[in-house]
Amino acid sequence: MRRCLFSLLLTGVWTLLSAAPRPDSSLQRLSEDPFWLLLGHYQHDSSGRWYSHVNDKRFFLAEQGAKDPYAELLATLEGLYKPMTLGDKHPQCVYPARTHWLRNHLKLDDLPALPCDNYRQWYHTIDPHSAAMVFPAAFLNSPSSIFGHTLLRIDPSGMKDSGSALLSYSLSFGANIDDADNSLLYAWKGLMGGYPGLFVIQPYYEKIAEYSRLENRDLWEYPLDLTPDETARMIEHVWELQDTRFDYFFFDENCAYRLLELLEVARPGISLTGPFSLTAIPTDTIRAVRDADMMAGVKYRPSRERELMTRIKPLNHDEQQWVSKLAEDEHYLQDPAFLALPVERRALIQDGAYRFIRYKVTSKERDADAARRSYSLLQAINRDSPPPLEIQRPERPESGHKSRTFEFGVGSREDRAYAEYGLRMAYHDLVDNLKGFPLGAQIEMFRAALRQYEDNHWQLQRFDLVNIRSLAPRGELLKPLSWQVTGGLQRAPGDGDDEVLVAHVSGGAGFSRQWSDNLLGFAFATARVEHNPDFGAFLGPAMGFDTGLLWRNTFGNMLLEADSDYFHNGEIRRRIHLTQQLELTDELGLRLSAKREFSKFSEPISELQLSLRWYFF
Amino acid sequence: MRRILLGSLLAAASLNAFAEAPGGPDCGWGNMLFKGQRGLPSHIVASTTNGSSGNATSGMTTGTNGCRTDGALTYGGKPMLLVGNMMDELSEDMAKGEGEALTTYAVVLGVKPEDRAHFISVTHDHFSQIFSSADVTAEQVLDATFSVMKGDERLARYVADQA
Repeated sequence: MRRCLFSLLLTGVWTLLSAAPRPDSSLQRLSEDPFWLLLGHYQHDSSGRWYSHVNDKRFFLAEQGAKDPYAELLATLEGLYKPMTLGDKHPQCVYPARTHWLRNHLKLDDLPALPCDNYRQWYHTIDPHSAAMVFPAAFLNSPSSIFGHTLLRIDPSGMKDSGSALLSYSLSFGANIDDADNSLLYAWKGLMGGYPGLFVIQPYYEKIAEYSRLENRDLWEYPLDLTPDETARMIEHVWELQDTRFDYFFFDENCAYRLLELLEVARPGISLTGPFSLTAIPTDTIRAVRDADMMAGVKYRPSRERELMTRIKPLNHDEQQWVSKLAEDEHYLQDPAFLALPVERRALIQDGAYRFIRYKVTSKERDADAARRSYSLLQAINRDSPPPLEIQRPERPESGHKSRTFEFGVGSREDRAYAEYGLRMAYHDLVDNLKGFPLGAQIEMFRAALRQYEDNHWQLQRFDLVNIRSLAPRGELLKPLSWQVTGGLQRAPGDGDDEVLVAHVSGGAGFSRQWSDNLLGFAFATARVEHNPDFGAFLGPAMGFDTGLLWRNTFGNMLLEADSDYFHNGEIRRRIHLTQQLELTDELGLRLSAKREFSKFSEPISELQLSLRWYFF
Repeated sequence: MRRILLGSLLAAASLNAFAEAPGGPDCGWGNMLFKGQRGLPSHIVASTTNGSSGNATSGMTTGTNGCRTDGALTYGGKPMLLVGNMMDELSEDMAKGEGEALTTYAVVLGVKPEDRAHFISVTHDHFSQIFSSADVTAEQVLDATFSVMKGDERLARYVADQA
C-alpha cells in the first residue's frame, strides 16, 4: 500500500516537472511488473523500499539502479538506443533478457539490430533447449552434505536424440571463496554472507566427476517441464548475471534460492521463492519445484562408490579377497587358482577390482603403475564382460521428512515430572524418521529445548549449535573413519544440583560395522572440553569412549548407546541410554527414550521421556 | 589451502587465430588414459557452504577443460573434447560394451541411431586396438577409432569426411 502511494506521488511530481505529457506513468507501472523486478533481483526491505540482492554496481545502468527499479528501467531503455559502435559492450548485448522483454512490451520495433557476437556464440555453444534440476544427495561420511546442493542442468536440443546428459551444461550458484581463508573463517564468513556468490556454467560431465567420483555422492536429476522458450528466457538472463556478485548466505540466499529465482524468470507468474524467508535447504527447494508441477520425472545416477559397493556385495569373502589381490597386482589374473573360478564369477571380480583401483586413485595424480594395472583389468573385462550393473533406486531424497522439527515431550527425572519443548532448525538425527535419508548420518544445527518441571520451574535444557555424527561402516575393501562432533550448552550432574548448565565442545573418531542393512554398530574414542561452574578450573578436559548399536526395525530406528567421560579433575561421568522412534507418518514421529546417568557428584539418576516430533517446515 | 571455486562466467576468450592444435594448447590432446580426477575437495568445506570445487575451471564460460571453442575446431571437434575429457569413462564403457560415455561418443561422431548398437559392438570388439596401451593419448584414441570405423562396412561412411 505504501509503495502504491509512493509511486503515485512520484508520478505526480514527474508529471508536474515534465512539460509535455509523456507515457511515464505506464513506464512507472512497467517498472513494478514482477518480471522486471525479477530481472533486477529486487526485494522490499522492511520499510517497503526496493533494494536488489545484486551486490555489484556494474549490474546496474542507473546510478541508483540497485534501489530504484524505475530509474533502472529508464536507463535501460535509453541504453538500448546507444550507438551500435559499442559492439559487444552495447546494453542490448549485455542485457539480452531485458532487451527481449522491453522490446515485446513497448513494441520497440525501431531498435538498432546488433550482432552481439560474444553472446550469440556463447548461447549457441550451450544451445539451451530444456533443463533439469540436479540434487547431489548426502554422502554418508560427510553429513554436512546432507544439506546438499542444487544446480540446474541445461540440455541441448539434441538431447532427445542422444539421450545422454554428457553434452549438457551445469548452471550453479556458489560462493567465491578466498584462497587464503582457513576453514573456520570460511565457515563463519559463509554463514554471515562474507563471500560474494556467482553463477557458474561448466560442462555437466565435470559436475558428474566432481560429485559422483570425487565426493561419492549420488546424483538425482529431475527433468523440468520447461519449454524451449522458457529455457531460453532463463539463459538470456544468466548471461546478464555473468560475473555479477550476489551476497551469499549459507542459509537463505544460497544456491537453491538463486536457482528458484531463475526458474521464476523462466516461467513468469509462478512463485517459488516465497516460502524461503529464513532457510532454503535444497531438498525443500526440490519439493517447491515438485509442488509447482514443474517436475517431469526423475533419474538416479549412483556414485562410483555405490557402484563399487553394489558390484562387490554379492561376492563371498574369498572372492572379495581376489578383488583386493587383483587390484594390487594384475599378475593374479593368470593365477591358476583364479582361472579355476567360473567365468561369470571372474567377470564380477575383475570388474570389482577395476572399480576398486579407480576408486582408490581417483583423487590422485596419474600413477603409471596404477594405470598399468587398470589397463590389464580392462583388457580382462573386455574378454569376459560382466553383466550391466543394476542398482535399485533408493527412496527419493525429497520424500524424506521436512527440515525443521518441533518436539513436545513429557517425562520424569527420578521423581520429578516435566514437560519439554524443543525446536530444531535442521535437520536429522540417527533415530529420526529414516525415509529418504541414509542410515547412520546425523546433522543437527540450532537445536534448543526448554524444560518445565512440575513446580513450574523453567530451564534451558540444552542448546546445540551443531551436532554431527557419521557412521560409515568398514568393509572388506573400504575402511572409512567414523566421526562425530558437537558443541553447545547442556545439563550435567554437578555439586549440589544434579543439572548444572555447562558449555562444551566434544568430538570423537572410531569405526562402525554394518552386519546387515538394518544393523549398525559403532565405537568411538572421544575428547571433550567443558566449562562447568562446579569445576575448579575454567575449562575441564576429558577423554572417553562412546559406543552403540543402531537398529532399523519395523517401528522405526532404535539406538542403544553407552558413553563415558573421564575428566582431568577426577570426575567420571557415564551414561547409558536407549531410544526408540515410532514412525507415525512421514512428518510425525513418537520417541521413547530412557537414560541412566552416573557421576561422582550424585547418585545414579534415571530419566524417562516420551515425545512427539513434528517435522514441519 | 587449495583453491576452491570457481571459474567465473567469462564472456569469451580471445578471438585471435592461432597456428596450433585446434582448441588451443591445453585442450586435452595429450591427455592420457587414467589421468583420473585430481584434487579431492575437502568434504566439509565443499559441502557446508555449498562452495563448488572446480579443478579445471580456467575461465572459458562454456568451459571445456582448457579448450577454446572460439577458434576453428575442425579436426576431431566435439569427439575430441569428449575423448579428452572422458577418456576413463569411455575406456571402461568400451571394454564392457555398454554405457553412457560410449553412446555419447557415437552421437558426437555423428553415428545415426540405427547404427549406434553396431558402433558399440564393433568398438567393443576392437577395444585393444582403440585403447592400445595404458599410456594412450586422446588423439591416438580418436585416430584409432577412425581407422576401426573405416574398416567397417556400416561405419565407414561416418569417417569419409574426416582427416
